[in-house]
Amino acid sequence: MNRAGALLLGLWSALAYGLLYAPVVVTVLFSFNAPRGRFNLVWQGFTLENWRHPFQDGALTAAFLTSLGLAVAAALLAVLLGGLMALALSRARVRGGRWIELLLALPLTNPEIVLATALLTLFVGLDLPRGPLTLLLSHSLFCLSYAALTLKARLAGFDPTLELAAQDLGAPPLEAFRRVTLPLLAPGLLAAMLLSFSLSFDDYVVSSFTAGETLTLPLYLAGAFQREISPQIQVLSTLVLLVSALVLVLASPPRRSPR
Amino acid sequence: MTQNRPHPRSRRTFLRQLALGAGAAALGPALLQACGRGPGGSAESAGGAGGELVISNFPLYIDVDAPGAPGSVARFQKDTGIKVRYVEDVNDVRQFFARIQPQLAAGQPLAQDLIVLTGWMAERLIRLGWMEPLPLAEVPNARNLVPSLRKPSWDPEQRYSLPWQSGIAGIAYNIKATGKELRGIDDLFDPALKGRVSALLEMRDTMGLLMLADGQDITRPTWAAAQPSFDRLEQARKSGQIRRFTGNDYQNDLLAGNLAACIGWSGDVAQLAMEQPDLRFLVPDSGGVLWADVMLMPKGARHPREVARWLNWVYEPVEAARIAAAVQYISPVEGVREVLAKDPATAPLANNTLMFPDAAMQKKLYVFGPLSVQEEARWEERFAQITEG
Amino acid sequence: MPRSLRAEARRPRWPWLLLTPGLLWLLGLYVLPLLGLVPLSLSEPLSRFGLDTVFTGRVANYSEVLQAYGPILLRSFSFAAIATAVGLVLAYPLAFAIRFRGGRWQPLLIGLVVLPSLSSFLVRAIAWTSLLGDNGPVLGLVESLGLTDGLNGLGVLRDGRLLNTPTAVIIGLTNTLLPFLVLPLVVAMQRIDPRLLEAAADLHAGPLRRFIRVVWPLSLPGLGAGLLLSLIPAAGDVVNPRFLGGPNDRMIANAIDNLLLVQLQAPRAAALTLVLTALITVAVGLQLRGRGLEELPLP
Repeated sequence: MNRAGALLLGLWSALAYGLLYAPVVVTVLFSFNAPRGRFNLVWQGFTLENWRHPFQDGALTAAFLTSLGLAVAAALLAVLLGGLMALALSRARVRGGRWIELLLALPLTNPEIVLATALLTLFVGLDLPRGPLTLLLSHSLFCLSYAALTLKARLAGFDPTLELAAQDLGAPPLEAFRRVTLPLLAPGLLAAMLLSFSLSFDDYVVSSFTAGETLTLPLYLAGAFQREISPQIQVLSTLVLLVSALVLVLASPPRRSPR
Repeated sequence: MTQNRPHPRSRRTFLRQLALGAGAAALGPALLQACGRGPGGSAESAGGAGGELVISNFPLYIDVDAPGAPGSVARFQKDTGIKVRYVEDVNDVRQFFARIQPQLAAGQPLAQDLIVLTGWMAERLIRLGWMEPLPLAEVPNARNLVPSLRKPSWDPEQRYSLPWQSGIAGIAYNIKATGKELRGIDDLFDPALKGRVSALLEMRDTMGLLMLADGQDITRPTWAAAQPSFDRLEQARKSGQIRRFTGNDYQNDLLAGNLAACIGWSGDVAQLAMEQPDLRFLVPDSGGVLWADVMLMPKGARHPREVARWLNWVYEPVEAARIAAAVQYISPVEGVREVLAKDPATAPLANNTLMFPDAAMQKKLYVFGPLSVQEEARWEERFAQITEG
Repeated sequence: MPRSLRAEARRPRWPWLLLTPGLLWLLGLYVLPLLGLVPLSLSEPLSRFGLDTVFTGRVANYSEVLQAYGPILLRSFSFAAIATAVGLVLAYPLAFAIRFRGGRWQPLLIGLVVLPSLSSFLVRAIAWTSLLGDNGPVLGLVESLGLTDGLNGLGVLRDGRLLNTPTAVIIGLTNTLLPFLVLPLVVAMQRIDPRLLEAAADLHAGPLRRFIRVVWPLSLPGLGAGLLLSLIPAAGDVVNPRFLGGPNDRMIANAIDNLLLVQLQAPRAAALTLVLTALITVAVGLQLRGRGLEELPLP
């Protein structure tokens, strides 16, 4: 490829990355802003004050912790249920396996609003008060599909003979699984958990329908944006981004040699 | 979640720590919620354990704690010894209604002992029979209520509600952006301001102002009288004259320069003008809409005694003055003006006709009259068509 | 019976044991409620102020909903299609660059594509309002380049404004769905042997020809998965139209949200939701015909 072509490709890629990172850069930038009033939207001046007190906004922090707890619980539940399904689907030839895969993919093929409407009408019909329980049920559902399909993909690339080798060396099946397969699957499990976690943590549509009184972070933000935008919002977002970057690195799949 | 960086050699240990931390993080908030003291961010999740008074209000509607000057809630707790859980979770009155409706309809008590809602929503709740009469016998300071807000249309017997604050819906604008002083509602439809104008999602405020400009009587609103204003609004939306329909967030757009003029609320603009002096508030000569947010006690409230103490306390002119100075809306309590005038720091507020409307101003202020259930449904459907496209 | 034979006889049972909890979850929390929307869409509200309904077989809900929200449905798919098209224009070169020029930086480059999606969706929307605002940097750049009139004429800007226009919504949508286009394309391109491209170059095929004859056909499975993961969520997006759009730019999910939570009209919301589902199922059915789900770019 000639030089002009390479330059064009480089510029185009930079443009794409630019689009992706424009809002992120703005957010990080504004976490260092000293806003004059209630809305941290206009650049006034640089300050480190916000970073010294990241948890100053009590209600924001409370919503942040709620989302955190919910996301972890939902991710655990989803990875558990999904992992079991992935195991069954990848290890055994199950009759109707194709249909089950289709069923798993179904929530992915519709916009979230469909799931949200279905869930709300279910909870109203069951007279179930909207709150932490309904949130957990809802979140674990949409995470389930992603977790199951992710783990199935990871398991597909996994060599079953390793486990058989352990068994041949005298380990009972469950122990072989626990000591050979599980550790090798750890990055995959982590990836599935990270995916589920971020889906749940950032969920807005489904939560707005099924949360009732409970305020998750996105729900809190949607309400807060009406009346103020405290710089702690940008600070916390940046923190979340940094932590996500870290976990992303840890969960990356084993490198395939480039061909 | 643990913040420890993973030791390169022991990924397994890290995963174990992660799992433990995750478990703790997952259970923590749930446990705290169960104890009624932790994150959850709203009144319902707390449960109001013991003698705790639970209040739901609009955000930024009270004086908050400042360094060296405790806010009203803190002072109330100190003065009376009553613990208060004050939650600012009334963002949208309709959404709040949708949240409390299932329990009230089922005859179950709410977590809140006191809620603050707009007058017309109060009227709906009172009509549905979901509100408890206030323990006014134990609120001697209720006699401090300003005469203009006594026996309002939404609570003709003054049994179920006491106003929290009152305010005016009018025109907020940036004089640098408009280039001139605005005169009335027609200015919002000026093509020169195309795309830099907004209206409120609060139907009675937006429609009220438009109908007043149309010469209609909004104290007895009729469907027929509203049509020209509905049409005018729809036309403005379709043509792009109106940039957005907003809740409280017209404020960001005014500050960021995305709006030149909009329909807004007097107290908000008063607060904003302190940081952006180019902002003005206009009550059109055709009339401004006067509204009130009122305090209500839902059926089955667990702490009526404490509610009475709160009501009495906030209707004390000195305390009411502190709240008024912070939010800069129209206080429903007599004597607030005199209190503010005495202190040099707050004296200018005493002359603010937006906070203390003089006779000339009062002549221009109208309260939107009641709508029957069927009427309201019709109006809201038409309004939703216009605002939601 | 010897242990191994007993295990043999038992083996067909255990997969179902593992599958059942997840299946119960899916059936109970997704399939059944979704099916339950059907009778709901044929009901009427019991009271003005609640979500209780009574089944009356009211088919008129559908005609009313289609009449009132037909334009919004059309608009939603148009916006989604435009955003996807713009996304593809950006995604293809990027995916190509990552796959064939990335070398050992590939995982990092891919990670960088994914990372923004892990930050708060809402905070990003607010950041876009700053960027696209009347006094914001993007408009400033456009003005300094003298492009304002041209873009006004094209309809990209509305009276020199960018925020609260369809353009802003589409920018937001493109930003949201870009990673979901890039990833499947990269995955699909992994299967393309670089030597094929070298061979094509040896045969005097220019860059465009190489793309059309080699890269494009072989990346189609990835394209399919990418479209699935981007077009549909984009059509159902709530946040971008709400923050970046004006009242003329509302999309279908905003409408359903309003119907259900503000107007408390559960039957019409259900009808609209089912119409949306039907349209999407048709689109997905056509797209997934025969193809499996292997191309989904899951981590």
